[in-house]
Amino acid sequence: MLKLSELRFLVDPFPVPLCEPVPFTNTIPQPTPFFPSMHNTYPLNVENFLSCQQLTTLWKQVSEDLRADLGDPLYDRWFADFLLSSVDSDGVVLSAPGSMYAIWVEENFKESVISTFRKYLSKCDKFRVSVKAPTEEELLAEPVVAIEEISGKGKILSETISASKLLERGLAAGLVENFRFDNFVAGDNCELALAAAKAVADDPGRTYQPLYFNSACGLGKTHLLNAIGWESLRQRPKSKIISVTAEQFANNYIDAIQNNSLAAFRKRYREADLLIIDDVQFLGRKEGLQREFFHTFNRLNDQRKQVVLASDCPASEINSLEDRLVSRFQSGLSAEIHRPGLETRAAILRRKRDDWDMKVSDDLINAIVERVKGNVRVLEGALIRVAMVATMNEEDLTTAHVHEVIADICDLQEGRQLDAEEIKRAVSEQYDVSVSLINGKKRTARVAEARQVAMFLCRQLTELSLVEVAACFAKDHGTVIYAVKKVKKRSEDSASFKSTVELIKRRLVRGGGIQNPRGNDSVVPENDQFSSFRKYSPKGK
Amino acid sequence: MKFQIDKDVFQDALNQVQHVVSSRTTLPILSNVLIEADELGLQLSTTDLDVTITVRVPADVSTTGATTMPARRLASIVRELPTSEIKIEVNEDNAATVRSGPSFFKILGLPNSEFPVIGEFGDAKEFTIDQKLLKDALRKTAYAISTDETRYVLNGVNCIIGEGMLTLVATDGRRLAMVEQDLEFPAGNESAVIIPTKAVNELQRLLNDSGEMKVSLTNNQASFELNDSHLITKLIEGNYPNFRQVIPGEAKYRVTVEREVLHSAVKRVALLVNEKTNSIKFTFADNQVAISANSPEIGEAEESIDVKYDGPKIVVAFNPEFVMAPLRNLDQDEVYIDLIDESSPGVLKIDEPFLYVIMPMRVAG
Repeated sequence: MLKLSELRFLVDPFPVPLCEPVPFTNTIPQPTPFFPSMHNTYPLNVENFLSCQQLTTLWKQVSEDLRADLGDPLYDRWFADFLLSSVDSDGVVLSAPGSMYAIWVEENFKESVISTFRKYLSKCDKFRVSVKAPTEEELLAEPVVAIEEISGKGKILSETISASKLLERGLAAGLVENFRFDNFVAGDNCELALAAAKAVADDPGRTYQPLYFNSACGLGKTHLLNAIGWESLRQRPKSKIISVTAEQFANNYIDAIQNNSLAAFRKRYREADLLIIDDVQFLGRKEGLQREFFHTFNRLNDQRKQVVLASDCPASEINSLEDRLVSRFQSGLSAEIHRPGLETRAAILRRKRDDWDMKVSDDLINAIVERVKGNVRVLEGALIRVAMVATMNEEDLTTAHVHEVIADICDLQEGRQLDAEEIKRAVSEQYDVSVSLINGKKRTARVAEARQVAMFLCRQLTELSLVEVAACFAKDHGTVIYAVKKVKKRSEDSASFKSTVELIKRRLVRGGGIQNPRGNDSVVPENDQFSSFRKYSPKGK
Repeated sequence: MKFQIDKDVFQDALNQVQHVVSSRTTLPILSNVLIEADELGLQLSTTDLDVTITVRVPADVSTTGATTMPARRLASIVRELPTSEIKIEVNEDNAATVRSGPSFFKILGLPNSEFPVIGEFGDAKEFTIDQKLLKDALRKTAYAISTDETRYVLNGVNCIIGEGMLTLVATDGRRLAMVEQDLEFPAGNESAVIIPTKAVNELQRLLNDSGEMKVSLTNNQASFELNDSHLITKLIEGNYPNFRQVIPGEAKYRVTVEREVLHSAVKRVALLVNEKTNSIKFTFADNQVAISANSPEIGEAEESIDVKYDGPKIVVAFNPEFVMAPLRNLDQDEVYIDLIDESSPGVLKIDEPFLYVIMPMRVAG
C-alpha cells in the first residue's frame, strides 16, 4: 500500500516535506501581478491591452525566431531596425525605419511574420508596417489626458501656411475655430474615435472611408469633426474642405433647386477633398435629399476622397434612411464616443478651467465630476456656476457647498426618469403618427399599433402602474394588459417588429436619439441659477 | 457645325483619345469626346478628370462649332463605315448626322458647354526631351507599377529630374524597375513627380520613336505636348518611398545570359509552375542555369541553358512572371543577373542604365 505522502510524491514533482501538514486546499497565495507584463504567459490575448514592456519582450522573442527562420543575412538586411509598435485584435503593427522597408517587408515576409506571431498571440491574421515612431501609438493608448502636440511630421510635400491664412481658409470651409486636436481631451471613452480621426486627418481618403462618429449629444463629435478639418487643412493647405451640418447641406440643396443652380451645387460638393457632415440623422426621411447625398457620396468615394460623418445614433438606426446609404455609411469605420469616465471628466474640466482662466481648485473639480456625469456641456455649465459662486463669495468654497450649488444640475440628470409623454413622442416619431392620435380614439392599424407599443414601453421603462399607464392613454387597465401581451406576441412572431420596438427603446434609454424637451437640460434657466445662488449665499455670509 | 474628314484619319484620332474614356462613369459627359471644329481642322478631346488627351486632325470644315459625342460609339461606327469619305453635320440640339456612302447615322450628343474645362497651367517647369528616350524608359519600368490601390503612391512611375539625370522608378514591393538616363536639364528644373498608371499607358501609346516633346510640370499636374497630341494628367500626390533602400549593394556573382533564350525557357517551364508558391527554381552552376518547376498535382518541368557563370552553386526561386516582365520589355541581346546569395535580392542589368531588383521566394526544404 502506498502511503498518502508517497502518492503525493508520484504526482507532485516538488513534494512538500513529510513533516509539514498537507494542506487540503491550495492556500498558498498566488503573487498578484502588479504589472501584467511581468507574467508573459503565451499566447497573449490580443483583446487585452498590451503594455509597452510586453510589446518589447514579445518583439524580442519574435525577432529571435524570425532570425532563426530567415537566417542572419536576410534578417539583418530587412528587419534590423524594426520595432513592434502595437498589437490588438486588428493585427500587429511593426514600425520600420523607412517607407520602402515597410512596403518591401509587408509584401515579401508577410507569411513568415504572421506565422511567427501566431506562436505568441491568441490571434494574428493581419500585419502592417508603419513608418511612424512607436511613441505616437503609445501616446494614443495612454488613458491619461494626452494633449497631442501638432508636430510637423516631416512630410516633404506638405506646404507651410501662415496661421492667419490657415484660420481664414478654415473658417471659409465652415470649420469652428476652437475645435482642434490640441484642445481635445482624450480619454478612454473616445480612444478609437480619436485615433481614427487622426489617421483620417493625416491621410484623408486612404484610411477609413467614410469615417462615421456616433454618440449622444455633447460628447465631442463636432469637436473631432472640426479637428479633422483643421489638421487636414494644416497638412494640405490646398485641399478643398467643406464642413457643414446635414441641415446646411439640405438648405444649400433647396436653394440650388430654387435658383436653378444645381450644377454649381454639385460641383461644389463633389469636388471636395474632404467633406465633413455633422448631424447626418437629419437626412432621415428626406428622400430627395438622400438621393442627392447618395450621388455626392459615391462620387467622392470613387475619387477616393474623404467623407466624415457624425450622428447621434448608429447609421442603421437613423429614421428611414435608405438602405444603400446605411450600408455605405457602415462600409468605413464607425466609431462611437462613450460617456467620459471620472478621470476624463476631471481632465476636461481642468483644461476648461485653465482655458477660461478660472480660479477653481482641483478638489472642487473633483466634487463636480463626481456629481455631474456625462454630457460635456452640462459639465461646463456646472463649472461656470461654481466659478461664479466662488468669485462672488470671499470665503473658500468647500466641496460640500459645491454639491449644493450644482444640486439642480445633478437632480436633472440623476432624476432623469422617462415619462409617458416622452415615450409617446418617441413612438410617434418612429411611427409617424402624431401624439394626439396616440392619445385619441382612432383605431386604424397603424395608430393602434403605435399606441400599443407606447403602452408596452411605458410598462417596461417607467415605474407607472397599470392603472397609471391606462390613465395616461385615457383607457382602462385591461387595454394596457392586452397591449402588452399583443406587443410581446408580435415581437416573437416578427423580427422586424421586434427590432422597431428595440430601436425606440434604445433611443429612449440613451436619451439622445429623439428631440425631447429634456434635451435642453444643459441650458439652465436663468432664474434657477439665481435661486440656487441665493440659496447658497446666506450660508456664505 | 459641319465638316468632311477622311475615314482613316478620323479613326486614328479617335483611337488615340478613346482609351481615356472609362466605361463606367458617374458623369455622362465623360464618356463623350469633345469635337471642336475650326478653320484648320478638328480638335478631339476626352477626359476622365484625371487624364485628358487632345488630338488635332486635318479636316475640311465648312461650318465651325463644337459638340460632344459618345466616344466609344462614334469610334465603332467610324470603324465600320463603308467609304473613306465621312460627312458629319451637327445641329444646335447636338444631334449629329454621319453620312458615308449609302450609310446614314444620327447620333445624339451633349452640349460642349458641359465638357469639363481643364485647369490652366500656372508657373510650370518646362523643358523638351526626346520622345524615344522617354518611350524606352517608360517601357522598361511601367510593368513594375503596383496595382494595389491601398498603396496609391506606387500606382504610377516615379519620375525624378535632377543631378543631370532623368530617373524613372516603378515598384510593387516585390520587384523594382529603374532607369537612370543621363540628361542635361536647364538648372532650376529639378522635380520629382509620380505619373499615374493611366497616364503612363496613354503616353506610351502616343509617343513616337523620333521627334521631341514638350513637358510641363506643376506640383499637381503634368502636361506632355507631342506631335499633334497633348496629354494632361493629374499627378499622384504623396511621397514616393526611398527606393534606394532596397537596391542591394555590390554583387558577388554575375551571370551573363542571352535574353531571348532565358525568356523562352522561363516561359516554357512556367507552364508547370506550382500554383501554391508561384515560383520556379533557378540553379546556377558551371556555366549553366537549370530552370525547374515542380507542381505536386500536375508534374514537373526542367530546362538547362548555357550561361556565363563561374561562381559556386546557387539555388534561387523567383516568381516566373517577375522574371519574364523585364525580359519582354528589353531589347538588348544580353542581360546580366547579379547575385549575392540565395536569400538576397537578385538584380537584372543590361549594358544601359537600367536595373531591376527582384526578391527571391523562399525555397521550401
